[in-house]
Amino acid sequence: MNLEKVVFSFFMILALTLNFGFFVGEVDNPDHHNVYELYAVLVVNLVATIMKFGDRSQLGAMLLATSLVAVVQLISASIVWTVAVHVQETGLTPAVMSTIVSLSGGAMLANIISVILLMIEAAMLRR
Amino acid sequence: MNLLTSMILRRMRKPFIMLIAVYNIAILGMILIPGVDDQGNPWHMSIFHAFYFVSYTATTIGFGEIPYPLSDAQRLWAVFSIYTLVIAWLYAIGKIFTLIQDPHFKDAVTSSRFKRTVRSMHEPFYLVCGLGETGYEVVTALTEEHYRAIVIENNPDNLNEIRLHDMREFVPNIIGDAADALQLEDAGIKLPNCKGVIALTATDDVNLKIAITSKLLHPNVKVVCRSELKEYEENMLSFGTDHVVNPYETFATMFEMLMHSPSLHLIYDWLTGAPYTHLTDPVYFRYGHWILCGYGRFGKELYKLLVEHDIDVTVIDPSLDVRDEFERHHVENKKNFIVGTGFDEKTLRQAGVDKSAGIIAGSNNDSNNLSIIMTARAVNPDLFVVARQNIYNNYDLYTATHANLIMRPREITARKIRAVFLNPLLVDYLKLARNYDEEWANVTVSRLSAVVGKNKPHIWTVEITEKSSPAVAEALELGRFINLGHITQDPASRYLKLKCVPLLHQCGEQQTMMPNEELAIKPNDKILFCGTREIKNSMYVTLSVMSSLNYVMTFRDEPESFIWRLMDRYMHKTERRRVPRPKL
Repeated sequence: MNLEKVVFSFFMILALTLNFGFFVGEVDNPDHHNVYELYAVLVVNLVATIMKFGDRSQLGAMLLATSLVAVVQLISASIVWTVAVHVQETGLTPAVMSTIVSLSGGAMLANIISVILLMIEAAMLRR
Repeated sequence: MNLLTSMILRRMRKPFIMLIAVYNIAILGMILIPGVDDQGNPWHMSIFHAFYFVSYTATTIGFGEIPYPLSDAQRLWAVFSIYTLVIAWLYAIGKIFTLIQDPHFKDAVTSSRFKRTVRSMHEPFYLVCGLGETGYEVVTALTEEHYRAIVIENNPDNLNEIRLHDMREFVPNIIGDAADALQLEDAGIKLPNCKGVIALTATDDVNLKIAITSKLLHPNVKVVCRSELKEYEENMLSFGTDHVVNPYETFATMFEMLMHSPSLHLIYDWLTGAPYTHLTDPVYFRYGHWILCGYGRFGKELYKLLVEHDIDVTVIDPSLDVRDEFERHHVENKKNFIVGTGFDEKTLRQAGVDKSAGIIAGSNNDSNNLSIIMTARAVNPDLFVVARQNIYNNYDLYTATHANLIMRPREITARKIRAVFLNPLLVDYLKLARNYDEEWANVTVSRLSAVVGKNKPHIWTVEITEKSSPAVAEALELGRFINLGHITQDPASRYLKLKCVPLLHQCGEQQTMMPNEELAIKPNDKILFCGTREIKNSMYVTLSVMSSLNYVMTFRDEPESFIWRLMDRYMHKTERRRVPRPKL
């Protein structure tokens, strides 16, 4: 067992599961989506991205790309949230909420691809 | 992903993860610990405010307690956060600086910048391997003529900025091993605009490797190598190296020329020295008894030459092995070998210096050579002195000896390479010139000295092509007749000729030595001229400006603008009308 692989996979799968946790629920209902969960998703995704830095293989490049996509989506979601609550002070209207949740849905898709790639890599190694 | 970015990313992985971790612990604490707002109600920081607070604290900016004064519990947490955050930041920044200072990283940056510069170069360029004194002279000569050069050199001392800074063109350069094929590829050997490879490293072995690699990777490229050993030279030529420059052999050729015809030697010296040296005075060879000090590579070449011309030679060399070798090869001249260094009067007198015609100081030690010259001159001031210079820095010392001939390997190599790349016709010219007699050479010498005088001679090649002489090419296309006399006409005055000598005219395969003025010019001809730099510039006015060409052909200034042309035509008509028609 390789500790590096464990940590690496841990963060990638945690990114996906947290992302899923935030995503489930009615799309425009603020009660179903917790701000701290979004925060956690963003942080875990950032860590996962940095762990993928510097891998020169083709698969490594794909993994990095999916993570970057997820991070971009999640950062946009949190910016929307911050602007709605703190800058414009409109509060979490259904329109705002659905924007945030759909952005995080996109991030989840990227995370799913990322985990699939991880599984392909594991299947290829077979040891 | 290229090597450089992946290197940065891999090194920065740890500091970044640490930064994120510390940030988030601090943010989390700020969110969880309760505070009090301005009305005294319990209040929790939102994620946004906590992030804001941590951001300005971590970067040591410190805006204060925003939006409400912190509670004591929050302050306690803030103290903890400040120390951890600042340490994490310093650690990350420190890592970045270490990375920038890392020698491997620096190498990676230089080499990737070099590769980018080479790839973005669109003009033709020459690849110079080895930037010793010869390489430096070659690069100077190339850039003076606005050719581009790329340099690979393995000694960082030779590659300092100052040496390449004064060049007319920017010279991309890299520290590296030119024998390495990958290094040559990085330097653009495979690019279509790489026109030539010049191998001038210190060892023949590396030069040979460069030549092989170049011919394999880019078969059309022109390769010139320096070689000091015969076996390498033959090997280099065997797979298509275009020119091999062996300074000892070249000097021997020049020496032979001097024995046959001083004027021919003078032509050779003047033309290869251009454009850096003034015209030199003729040197006259002296027949009689000769002394040769130093029987190495250089000495052997000259010994062979002298003996072939029935000259009596006494050889002086300190090595006993050399004596044995000499006695084996030259059984009949066995007694003409003296063991010694030659810088003491006794040995020289034993060799017969007082009755000798000439002496060759040809050892591989400069102080010995200089001392041989001084001692021999003291005994016999009329000696013809040939000196071999080994170390470039002794240039002035050797000049001060007033030796009749000085062999400077680096200068000889640089001269030859200059000719090969800048004026390939000059190489042909000098080869053909050897077939002519002394009288021809005398005429040529007087013609050259008449046009050059006290200036520095300049050699240039005119190509009748759309690109280098557009006016002439266009006129020929229109069917006009142009001869060499038109080109050598001064475009500023009908009474003057340009002070230059056409040396060689090449039309297809046919070459004409010293062509005369009636010679008709055809497209794609090449003509080699000798004159001065100013004359060259005037000639290019004729070659590229239509009105100037028109003037030298008709001696009339044609009006160029529309109105003037109309007026001119009108005036001509009236002029013609006034002339009475001839009666039939």
